[in-house]
Parts: sequence; structure tokens; C-alpha cells
Amino acid sequence: MEVEEWASSSGGTSDSEVCVPDTNDEEHYFTSGDIPKLQFRKNISRAHWDDEMGMAEVVGKKGSMWTTIGIVRSSKIYCSIEETLFLAERGELSLLDADDRSVPLKDIYKKVAEGKSGCCWESFEVYRHLRSLGYIVGRHGIPWTVKSIKKKPPSVEGTLELEVIIDQKFEDLNLVNELFNNIRIDEVRPVFDVYPPNSKFRKSSPGNPSFVLCMTSGHPPSKPEIEDLERQCNGIPLKFCHVEYGCVSFFSFNRVELPVLP
Amino acid sequence: MGPRWKGKGSEGKALADPMSKIVSQLKSSLIQSDSHGLLSGCSVLLEVETEQTALLNRSCFGRPIITAQKDKQWFQLGMEEAFYLCYNLKCLKIFSYDECTKNDDELWNYMKSKRETFPDLFKAYSHLRTRNWVVRSGSQYGVDFIAYRHHPALVHSEYAVLVLSGGDGNANGRLRVWSDFQCTLRLCGSVAKTLLVLRIDKNGVGAGSPSCLESYSVEESTITRWSPEQSREDKTVAENGTEQEICFEHEPSSWSLQRTTSS
Repeated sequence: MEVEEWASSSGGTSDSEVCVPDTNDEEHYFTSGDIPKLQFRKNISRAHWDDEMGMAEVVGKKGSMWTTIGIVRSSKIYCSIEETLFLAERGELSLLDADDRSVPLKDIYKKVAEGKSGCCWESFEVYRHLRSLGYIVGRHGIPWTVKSIKKKPPSVEGTLELEVIIDQKFEDLNLVNELFNNIRIDEVRPVFDVYPPNSKFRKSSPGNPSFVLCMTSGHPPSKPEIEDLERQCNGIPLKFCHVEYGCVSFFSFNRVELPVLP
Repeated sequence: MGPRWKGKGSEGKALADPMSKIVSQLKSSLIQSDSHGLLSGCSVLLEVETEQTALLNRSCFGRPIITAQKDKQWFQLGMEEAFYLCYNLKCLKIFSYDECTKNDDELWNYMKSKRETFPDLFKAYSHLRTRNWVVRSGSQYGVDFIAYRHHPALVHSEYAVLVLSGGDGNANGRLRVWSDFQCTLRLCGSVAKTLLVLRIDKNGVGAGSPSCLESYSVEESTITRWSPEQSREDKTVAENGTEQEICFEHEPSSWSLQRTTSS
């Protein structure tokens, strides 16, 4: 098996013999003025947090990102906690509580720390990393729209059963998070379906993701674990990701067959 | 390889502003504001005022989270950093999402559950930090930590640090076979860092509570490659401490490990 490092957060290190100064060091901020701040936005979307659902219902859409963020159910857009926090950090979304008061960033961080909404801090960092680069990221196995279930290619056999369940009671969005919460912490698990940056992306016909991203905790995945996941994802490539000290690294494990050379 | 300062005035700047002083300023500032960090996964999130933003930056604890929030700055601390501020410097309290403050033992157990090797890694981290080295994650270089003589804006990191567990076996499985040495040294060499191995011996006290840390011992050694081709006219040996050298003889298959102790 060949292990290929697919990308890393702060660029790779050049493979050169000579002594290179470590220009690839992560950003170091010496003074506070060095830390970039995101621009204040005028048009801010709004969403209501639903504790029971563990998702936010979008009530005011501003901006074009809604073509690639949130799942559509009964003509409403629901945001997962990672999508909500991503937009809130960037000042693009104001999250409202039951009394229409704005939920401070601190409380959204707490929701992630609590881990009840199907996303831990590390998964959030992965989401943010890919999303900031323009990738379109959805939770693995959760259809973008109910319509898209029927259109989904039959190749995704592993999730067929799930699709039927969602089809039957899609209004029960609790399921979305339950699927995530019931997974044991220690195992390697598929977390996100990742699509390349695409301005023509449509939730109603998203096509196959370019890969399924799996999170590992602590240990690299074992060969049986990889094979098991490959069977589940039937044909869609897998990538594995590891988060450490805020640095996200992605790896592919590809079986290769070397040609016999003359 | 000595320290490589960035630019002319850097060494002087570092001398005039020792890291110990910056860290103790950070400590008093965090104590004064009764700082609390939120435990989330393998990180601790901390919201601070401008003054502390500057001190965290200058002492190189954590990394800023870039948000649109204007008045305050969020920082993300790694587990070792957070535990050091909490347990060693006693200037940070850490709470969970339900607002419960974690005591030292609870935090220790939490971090051990997140990373088996946390006790060894933390011992190594605090060993370097108490000696006023700046310690950052080494994940970019395939090692556990990298160590700087002062702020990374002033000096390149000097050491790539690997933490090995002595006594009860090599828990993190590093440097078991020769190819591991070749791989690690090749990389460290190409980024101009010396490989520093910190061997942690728990001396049989286990890792039941953070008080065990006091009984752990740390053995420091560097591993370098010696190249006969480049050393024919150079007679310098290691300047301080214990230096382990790997000699590469003519036949690439015949490696030998030489432990040279100089006084």
C-alpha cells in the first residue's frame, strides 16, 4: 500500500538536501496587531438554534454560500453545528436563541465542546479547513435534499439502508445527529462527504463526492479498518485525516500494483 | 549547529527580553483576570483581552483563532500548553461545556484518555518550558515538539524533539529500526534542526495522578549523523552534554552507533 500525503494545513517541507530556513513554520504572531481580523459584514444571515434537533434552522438567507451549506428539508435549510460555527466565526451568520437574542460565539464553542450535535472540535477544524479552501463538505451519508435521495447513484450501497430511513421520516432530523453521536470515539469513521470547489454545485444533484473523509483518533487506521471502510463506501475514494495541535493532515492509502519492467 | 537568529538585532532583542520574564508577565496577567478556558476535544479555547493576546503571542502559547469578533481574541491551546498553564503555572482554570471547573486530577485523566502518551509528552513539554525554551508542536516535521531558544520571530527552532518512554518500553514506537533514524535525521537535517531525544523514565511510579510527574526523570540526548567525507579537516566534537553520533561508513549497509561523551 502506498501512503500519500494529500495536503497539509501549512504546506509541506521541501525535500531538499541543503539547509533551508524553516520558512514553512506556521504563522507566528509576535504582536497582537499581526493577527488578521475578518471583515465586518453588512449582510448577515440569521438562523434559529434548535436544541432538540442539534441543528440551526436558517430564517434569513444572505449571500451565495447557501447553495453549498445546509441540508434542505421541507423547503427549509438546516445547518449542522459545524456549518453554523463556521459561518458564525466569520461573522456571516447570527445565531439566535428562542427569544431571538444573538447567541455569542462562546456559547457556540460550548455546544461543540459538549459534543451532542454530532461534531467534536477536531471535526470542526477539519470542516473549517476544507470549507475555507472552497471545498463543499457535507456530513457523510446525509443527503443534501430529500429529492436527491432518489437521484443518488446506486453505487453508494453502504448508505442505501440509511437513505430509506431518512426518506421515511426525514422530518425527524434528530436522526442526523444520532447517527454521529452513536459512533464510538475510538474508531475510524467516515465523517464528511467532500466535493471539489464548484460554482455550479446543486444540492438537488450533487453527484458523487470526490472522496469520503474519515477521522481517526490517535492511531493510524489498520489494514482491516481501511478495507472495511472501502467496502462500505463502494468505489468512492477514501481519505483519512489526522488533527494535531490545530494542524490538519490528510492521507490516502492506495493499493497499487507495480508493473513488471522489461 | 548553534542558534540561527533571524536578522541582525534579534539576538540582542532576545537577550534584553528573556522568555522567563514574558511568561511570568503572562502568568500574572492571567491570574489577575481569573482566566478560564473551555475544554473541547483535544484543545482548550480561551477568550482574552488585548493585553493577554500580546502576552500569549510573545510567549508563544496557543494559536489565535481568526474570527469576526472584534473586542476579544480567541486562542486555541494544545493539551500540554493548557495543562502547563493550569498545573505548573496555576494561572488558568479549565472548565467543561457545563461550566464545571476541572481539577488537576480530572484534567490529567481527561488528557490521558485523549492521548495515551500524554504523561510522557507533558513531562517533556514542561521540562523544556521550565528551562524557558519555547515549545511548539512538531507535527510539521514529523516529531513531537520543536524547541526555540526564544520567540520564533527572532530565531529559527533549534531542536526537533522526540519523546521516548524509557523504563516501560518505547510507548510511542519511535526510533525502533535504523530506517527510522535515517528518516528522522534526513528530515531534521534538511530543515536545519538537531534531533533531541528526551527519554522519560517514570521510575515505576505510573501515571495515576499529575503528582507522579515529580518522580519522572528526563534524559536528554542529541542524535546527529557524522559524515566522514565532510569531516576530514574538522576535529570538533560535541560541545556539551551527551552526544550520540551515527557514523555512516563507506558501505551504506554498515551503520554504527557511537556514543561519545564529552566533558
